[in-house]
Amino acid sequence: MSLKKQDEMDHNAWLKNQDLTVIETAFLTTLIWLDKRLRIVDYLELLETMYYRANLQMPKSHTEQYDLDNKFWYWYPLYSLGSLSIVAYLVAAVTGALLGFYYAPSTAGAAAQGDPTAAYDSLVMIMKDVQFGYMLRSIHRWAAQFMVAAVFLHMLRVYFTGSYKEPREVNWILGIVLIGLTLLFGFSGYVLPWKQLSFWAAQIGVEMALATPLVGEWAAQLLFGGFTLGQATLVRMYILHVFVLPFVVTGLIALHVGIVWVQGIAEPH
Amino acid sequence: MTDDDTPMTDGGTDAEARTDGGPPATVPPDDETPTWSERKEHSSGLAQLTYQYFERSRREDEDLRAESTYVERDVLGFPTWPHETLRNLAITSFFVGIMILVAALMPAHFGEPANPGSTPAIILPDWYLYWSFGLLKLNPLNPELAVLGGNIVMSNELLGIVAHGIIFGVIGLVPFLNKGSARRPVEQPFWAAVGVTGVILAFTLAALAIQNFFPISLDLLLTLTFMLPVLGGILTYAVLKTMREGYMYDLNRRYYMLRPPK
Repeated sequence: MSLKKQDEMDHNAWLKNQDLTVIETAFLTTLIWLDKRLRIVDYLELLETMYYRANLQMPKSHTEQYDLDNKFWYWYPLYSLGSLSIVAYLVAAVTGALLGFYYAPSTAGAAAQGDPTAAYDSLVMIMKDVQFGYMLRSIHRWAAQFMVAAVFLHMLRVYFTGSYKEPREVNWILGIVLIGLTLLFGFSGYVLPWKQLSFWAAQIGVEMALATPLVGEWAAQLLFGGFTLGQATLVRMYILHVFVLPFVVTGLIALHVGIVWVQGIAEPH
Repeated sequence: MTDDDTPMTDGGTDAEARTDGGPPATVPPDDETPTWSERKEHSSGLAQLTYQYFERSRREDEDLRAESTYVERDVLGFPTWPHETLRNLAITSFFVGIMILVAALMPAHFGEPANPGSTPAIILPDWYLYWSFGLLKLNPLNPELAVLGGNIVMSNELLGIVAHGIIFGVIGLVPFLNKGSARRPVEQPFWAAVGVTGVILAFTLAALAIQNFFPISLDLLLTLTFMLPVLGGILTYAVLKTMREGYMYDLNRRYYMLRPPK
């Protein structure tokens, strides 16, 4: 028996024997290279099976069976509110990342009470000195407003068309959580410029947290970094706004949409 | 003793001593390997219950499918490319365009720097938190909720937080209270009325939050805050009840034209 290691499936030799164009060769070489490492062919087969299963025959949907297309398309704008809130979320994410280049979450620099802080100054800098900075901030702010509006209207649409009913309770509750997180997103963003209204809105937040029984003081410490507002509050709101919430909200949105995908859209009757 | 398959003293065969790897070491299923059904039968407790439930639900599925009159059809969908994609792109770019236009026409407002020493006359959050801010201004109601000797049961702030909890709780309970296949507001006037009540309540609470801008007394504003939603709800209920007969007639005609009752 030969000691030389044998290649049972010499794909390269097979490739050479074929009469292939450059594109085909490159494609196959890449495919073989990846497949040797990741076994993608297994997954391709799975996908293929799923494709054929899904596309051969499907039950007539409710809208088709009862010829409700006219109704459905008439109400279509209301059925796109969920995805519009995602679009606004993406716009806010892109502009927010750009604003993050210039923003400084710091209350340093105020000699006396009421003087501009570093955070406030960085916003003035964004609005006055940075090219298109004012526009960037406006778009970010309006994207946030649009997102909240779209989310509220989306909820109303789901309520008044009864789309939250029986198999979809989990997604309804997930939606409530997402609305709460969206409002928290807005609130933490409202605090960041560290202007008068930001400060006093945060003050009301602290007072609300402290009034909660049992967990109140702990929550105030965690979210606001103490019972009086200052540097710690600003940094915590900043981390909440640019690190914690983006991960959590993006993940929950993916789950929310995934459940809609699995359960199917609740069609209008 | 040169035969490869003859057992050796340690129970193995000479074949195992080969250095070239030998034939592939797959284990053929023998009588001792339990089949899948045997494994299922052997399992007990929660695993067995899970398996039994899955079997039942699969059978139920098959039965339902067998007796269903559902119409199947070859897929005549809207193609993803280009129709669906282009439509989505159009909607998305329109929406983003509107956002940029509004941002250009109404740039973000900017105020004074924070001053812990002076409280501004008007503290307001963004518009979408007005309802929440209104809930914090329910303190005139607090003495009325007192039960024991006129002492208020909870602090004014706690009242606001409890109100938030009640609102979120009620919204979360809706799908567990309202079941069945009715979907349109006309089919379920009560729940439509509840929804309208909620929407109007959100607006009246927002009005309560900005009470300084209303030239009416606080008592009247508080009364209106809770009376207007209820009035709106009653009105919705009445209107939908009236509309219902004609609407359902239309709907039923369309249903039964396609699917006559057996």
